Amino acid sequence: MTVPYKIPNEPVVQCSHCGEACEEPTLIGTEQSFCCQGCKLVYELLQENGLRNYYNIEQTPGLSLKALKAEQYAYLDDPEVKRQFVDYTDGKVGRVRFLLPQIHCASCIWLLEHLYQLDRGIQQSRVNFLKKEVHLSYSESDTSLSKIAGLLHKIGYPPAINLADLNSETPPTLSKSLYYKLGVTGFVFGNIMFMSFPEYLGLHRGEDAFYFHLFGYLNLLFGLPLVFYSGWDYLRSAYLGLRQGNLNIDLPISIGILSLFGRSAFEILSQTGAGYMDSLGGLIFFLLVGKWFQQKTYHSISFERDYQSYFPIAANRLEDNEEQATSLNKLQAGDQIIVRNQELIPADGILQSEKAYIDYSFVTGESAPVKVEKGALLYAGGRQTGAAIQIQLTKKVIQSYLVQLWNEHSFEQKTSKLAASQLANAVGKYFTIAILLISAATLLYWLPIDTAKAINAFSAVLIIACPCAVALSIPFTYGNVLRVLGRSQSYLKNTEVIEQVQRVTHIVFDKTGTLTERQEQLVFEGQLSTEEKDAVYSLACQSTHPRSQQICEYLKGAVKLEVTDFEEIPGEGIGGTIGGQRIYIGKGAAGTEILVDGLEKGYFGSKPQLRKGMKNTLHWLRQQFDISLLSGDHNRRPAFFSALFGGVEQLHFNHSPKEKLQYIEKLQQEGAVVMMVGDGLNDAGALQQANVGLVVTEEQNNFSPACDGVLSTASFQQFPNLINYIRQSRWVIYISYAFALCYNIIGLSYAVQGLLSPVIAAILMPLSSLSIVLLGISGSWWLARRLKLNTNQVVMNEIQ
Amino acid sequence: MSKVEQFYYDNAIVRNFAYATAIWGVVGMLAGLWAALQLVFPALNLDFAPTTFGRLRPLHTNAAIFAFVGNGIYMGVYHSLQRLLKTRMYSDALSKFHFWGWQAIIVAAAITLPLGITSSHEYAELEWPIDIAIALVWVAFGINMFGTILKRRETHLYVAIWFYIATWVTVTVLHVVKNLEIPVHMWKSIPVFAGVQDALVQWWYGHNAVAFFLTTPYLGLMYYYLPKAANRPVYSYRLSIIHFWALIFIYIWAGPHHLLYTSLPDWAQSLGMAFSLMLIAPSWGGMLNGLLTLRGAWDRVRNDPILKFLVVAVTAYGMATFEGPMMSIKSVNAISHYTDWTIGHVHVGTLGWNGMMTFGVLYWLLPRIFNTKLYSVKLANVHFWIATLGTLFYVVPLYWGGWTQSLMWKEFTADGFLKYGNFLETVTQIIPMYAMRALGGSIYLAGAILMCYNLFKTVRQGNLVANEMAEAPPRPVYAKHKGEHWHRWIERRPIQLLVGATIAILIGGMVEIFPMMMVDENVPKITSVKPYTPLELEGRDLYIREGCISCHSQMIRPFRSETERYGEYSKSGEFIYDRPFLWGSKRTGPDLHRLGGKYPDSWHYNHMLDPESMSPGSIMPPYPWLIENDLDTTYTAAKIKVLKMLNTPYPDNYNTRLYKEMREQASQIAASLNGDGIEQEQLERKEIVALIAYLQRLGTDIKPKPRAEAEGSTN
Amino acid sequence: MKIILLLIAISMLVALGFLVAFFWAVRSGQYEDEYTPSVRILFDDKNEKS
Repeated sequence: MTVPYKIPNEPVVQCSHCGEACEEPTLIGTEQSFCCQGCKLVYELLQENGLRNYYNIEQTPGLSLKALKAEQYAYLDDPEVKRQFVDYTDGKVGRVRFLLPQIHCASCIWLLEHLYQLDRGIQQSRVNFLKKEVHLSYSESDTSLSKIAGLLHKIGYPPAINLADLNSETPPTLSKSLYYKLGVTGFVFGNIMFMSFPEYLGLHRGEDAFYFHLFGYLNLLFGLPLVFYSGWDYLRSAYLGLRQGNLNIDLPISIGILSLFGRSAFEILSQTGAGYMDSLGGLIFFLLVGKWFQQKTYHSISFERDYQSYFPIAANRLEDNEEQATSLNKLQAGDQIIVRNQELIPADGILQSEKAYIDYSFVTGESAPVKVEKGALLYAGGRQTGAAIQIQLTKKVIQSYLVQLWNEHSFEQKTSKLAASQLANAVGKYFTIAILLISAATLLYWLPIDTAKAINAFSAVLIIACPCAVALSIPFTYGNVLRVLGRSQSYLKNTEVIEQVQRVTHIVFDKTGTLTERQEQLVFEGQLSTEEKDAVYSLACQSTHPRSQQICEYLKGAVKLEVTDFEEIPGEGIGGTIGGQRIYIGKGAAGTEILVDGLEKGYFGSKPQLRKGMKNTLHWLRQQFDISLLSGDHNRRPAFFSALFGGVEQLHFNHSPKEKLQYIEKLQQEGAVVMMVGDGLNDAGALQQANVGLVVTEEQNNFSPACDGVLSTASFQQFPNLINYIRQSRWVIYISYAFALCYNIIGLSYAVQGLLSPVIAAILMPLSSLSIVLLGISGSWWLARRLKLNTNQVVMNEIQ
Repeated sequence: MSKVEQFYYDNAIVRNFAYATAIWGVVGMLAGLWAALQLVFPALNLDFAPTTFGRLRPLHTNAAIFAFVGNGIYMGVYHSLQRLLKTRMYSDALSKFHFWGWQAIIVAAAITLPLGITSSHEYAELEWPIDIAIALVWVAFGINMFGTILKRRETHLYVAIWFYIATWVTVTVLHVVKNLEIPVHMWKSIPVFAGVQDALVQWWYGHNAVAFFLTTPYLGLMYYYLPKAANRPVYSYRLSIIHFWALIFIYIWAGPHHLLYTSLPDWAQSLGMAFSLMLIAPSWGGMLNGLLTLRGAWDRVRNDPILKFLVVAVTAYGMATFEGPMMSIKSVNAISHYTDWTIGHVHVGTLGWNGMMTFGVLYWLLPRIFNTKLYSVKLANVHFWIATLGTLFYVVPLYWGGWTQSLMWKEFTADGFLKYGNFLETVTQIIPMYAMRALGGSIYLAGAILMCYNLFKTVRQGNLVANEMAEAPPRPVYAKHKGEHWHRWIERRPIQLLVGATIAILIGGMVEIFPMMMVDENVPKITSVKPYTPLELEGRDLYIREGCISCHSQMIRPFRSETERYGEYSKSGEFIYDRPFLWGSKRTGPDLHRLGGKYPDSWHYNHMLDPESMSPGSIMPPYPWLIENDLDTTYTAAKIKVLKMLNTPYPDNYNTRLYKEMREQASQIAASLNGDGIEQEQLERKEIVALIAYLQRLGTDIKPKPRAEAEGSTN
Repeated sequence: MKIILLLIAISMLVALGFLVAFFWAVRSGQYEDEYTPSVRILFDDKNEKS
């Protein structure tokens, strides 16, 4: 398996399950060692059930279970939830699909396809590696969804289950009808070639009349599915286009198809010629292949996510002091619910517990948790950090503030951005007009001289001028551009986005998570001796409070000492005695202050940490575009940012998601074509409103709001390169068009004189198509190399 | 209810086929070597009819293709199919029947071919009873395979299986169409198609036999065993799928390229050429997919002989599939056809692609089913180098010889005469090459024997896991798609559908067009062309029995160099009574189509008795038995009857007087022989007389060229 | 050369048969996963309980 997997090379004891360093001495043995209890359990479980092969296929294939927190899946057994969740069930056998983001190697596939050894209720399980899904069929009587989910969780593959799984149907990877069409066209095209070649190869209409006509009729027969099945979409869209009064690219194509077919049919039936069926077959075959090539799908990325993708399926509702897992859709205003540490608040409500630390980064992008007192209003989308809290809901899920965001108008009109290539259509329009004029002129010129010839030349013009080049160049070139970008871990939704990017005049950045690292950097102002460091470290690690955790992380490497009479003053700080010293960590004027035996030793503050290479990136961008900053939180370091953006007026802080959206609208009204670069849900509105919405994410399996493209942080470092590449790729198109023009001129020169023969068409049309395809693909590769685009960051999706 | 099912893979059948593969491989190569040596030392035919070149060659080709590669295919299919589908073969009985049936057929072939019982159709020499047996066994194989597919536990059909399916369906059709023949008696049948038609069917079959017996199944094996041996997934599974469908839709068309410059219509010839060229794309797609699978693992290839074998095999496939289309280009074919170049080309495929792949699979598979390690990796490595060396030593001289001879055939002097008017000169010239080739062959054979030893020791040190235990959950059963009704139907019956389609093909094809086949008004009639006399007919059957077709063509191509040498080029109208056609595909000796009347009867008599006496240095073996044996005329009437049934215009109730005519013609020839001083008891009854009658008739229906010119041109 | 008809008819029907097979394959989702099967075949299903 060519699946990259990091194996730590420092000389530490490796966890037999996940290969991470083992620190807990009690878990280190001679045979196997483990980094955590979880890993140990899984290892033993697999050993017992004859699944040790899991560890033979790959080195320490597991992922550490340290971080894995307990999860309840009982809600999956709620009949109503289950009905929506399973793909199929007949009451005895059920078929269900789980998304397992942890799938990463061959061992995963092997283990997950041997689940039946762990739960006899599971019949057959099949992994789809690229989609990171496991499809399994199970016997309703012997097991249950919650059991299965629990099992997956236990062995280190916690299923990612969210509201979207219930409320939306997952669409098939690639429309099957395209495959059918390709199959039929391939078959028909092959046969038509076989029937048509003889004429070019010396089949004489005279001597071999029998075959000549036989082949003709067979061709006609094969031509029917070609036009009325394979080519139907083009005719249809051209027709619809006409009805709306716009000449799209499909119109000239349809003209080509129809004239090819019509002329051929006439020649064959009137036994006056062999017809152009092979050219027709070639044309449609190429067009379909182009369509197929264009549809680059990134299996583990969805560009169409809404809040549902973030929300759990169920919440714990209190029913006469009994916690009941309840489908989110069933929650009512007035319900009492329990939200545990790191759980999402599903709907707006009043805090019943004394206090809570809510992390609103989802909503506002502000990472620091906010302290909330009893009775305060909590917004859906917030994440509790710390002890479990009780909330009384004031709204249903769909009425909550956050959810309202998604009902903004900008979300419905999304589709308008997905119109077919504007460039192609523009060209197509003039193309059509030109062709109609030329053909008309030809007709008029010949009519007085020779009617037959007039018709001949007229149809010939329509045939030869068929804009395969125009139609093929964009799918193949931009299709390949998508692939190139994918290899540099930047995933665009579709080829239309490329054209949008080329038009962008104004780029808007969200601060947190794009310009700056999501996690603000902790800085310590003051002096601490080593002993004090150890002491503070030992104390901080005792508390679950996010800031304490940060400090614990910050001082990592210090020695952990025993802490006596530990006290936690809620909302104030923590204290404890270590080695005789009384240490106190708590709220201070400047930040989190450290008191050793009452004396202030200094304090921890935090400053936003700029992403690597951001300075140059912004500098470069400023010369090319208008850029501005759009942030949900308040401006802590004005000078710093105005320096980056060249002026305060480009900086917009304290913007609510709604205001962000409106800001984009404003820019657009001023005539700007806006690209929004953001991350969190709070940008969702803006991302939608912008002509191009890009999301930056740590790793592409992270959920990201609906957008036009997902950039990995890695690729974000070469952002200017990417932009450059996308913008310049249009030259490849222009060149192809130039090529196409030459071919057309040659072809037309024959056509207008009424000299076009099937051979010429059969040579010229595939030739032009092929050269356009090659030009497009090689051109886009060459350009990538020339711009030194780093395309070596091969990722899961690309292994195929 | 959802019990994990335990089941056992049938390894015994795999072992049987593996043994058969190895053994028949050696036998086939031995036959080949023997035949090759006879081209250098004609005496090696031991003056024994069954071991003369003409009868040995078909034995070799049949053994190599159907015994060696055939068993190799079954070995691979029976092993991989069970594991790919997570189930035992559908029926052990069928498996056994398939195995023993096939071996019986091979034995039958090994007996009948040396006895001169042959249809003379290349790669389809076997006579009708054996053809039927083949059909039966093949169908059994089909039922077994499709049955296994139906009861599979794995839903997905791995690409290899698609290649197996394609093999079965297509070979079925080919075999049936090819062997449409009417029995005269147990060991003699007459094909329903004559002359050009027979030729076209023959090479449509011939090419596709190569395509679907030597190629598609082995591609299937490649897609299974290469990843397994390298323990890494195929480079691009998607590409392999495209590879399959592209190949399937083009391959079937490429047949006619074997008949370039023959009497086949130009456009049909060129068509074959065009489609052969198109084949390069899918073939190379497959090759690259195979090689790229090993990207980043070449270090392993260096020390693993199995991977080495597979890599060379795939490379050879690439070379052969590039060379083939090249040779189908008319201008190239003008040079390559009838020469040893073709033989070389074929052996790149068989020795390189099929051979190496088979060896690799054997080495990989036997230790596994015997639950042991390969006895000696070292020997395997040695074998690899020997095999590679042998292949080179075999192929290179033949290319060289082929080119040399072809150029000599075509070379003219300044005055416009053939530089090498005597065909024999062009033969003696390349005998050293033949020697080299024999050497290469023996080296390759040595390697194969080495392998047998290695495998033997391996088997000895392990013990067969006749039934290998495995477990898998059953294939879930539920209505998967809510598709259109006919789709639903197809889904539930993929296999029945394929079989159905095959049958439809047969019936449909036959019913519609068959009647027209019998008489073909499209072939230009030549009034002067008459059916063979009974004696000539018997002579012709001797010509077939002795396999003269192995070395002599009867098809003069429209090149000056050929018309100069042999006379008027062949017209399609001349062959309308030729059942089977005898155009041949190789000229180790000269073309014979215009032989008639070129020499006196006595020349032929002596030439057959001792070729060297007539043309010193000739490597043609003597045929004394033709002179001793009495001609068997038991079935003459029956043959005439069948031919008449096939619209050969013999007079009505001819059988009343055909024996009389036979005797008359025989005694005429006997008389002319006596006239030249040849005295022999009951000469007119001997086989030689019939043969002479036929040879003297050859090509004389349309006015033969005057002696004078012909004199210079052949030996 | 009517024989050509026979060959064409047969070849075409064979091809047609395979076209149908292709439809079945796509329809029944044979090609929905174009990667995992290539890994799956690498696993030897030796049962190691006991």
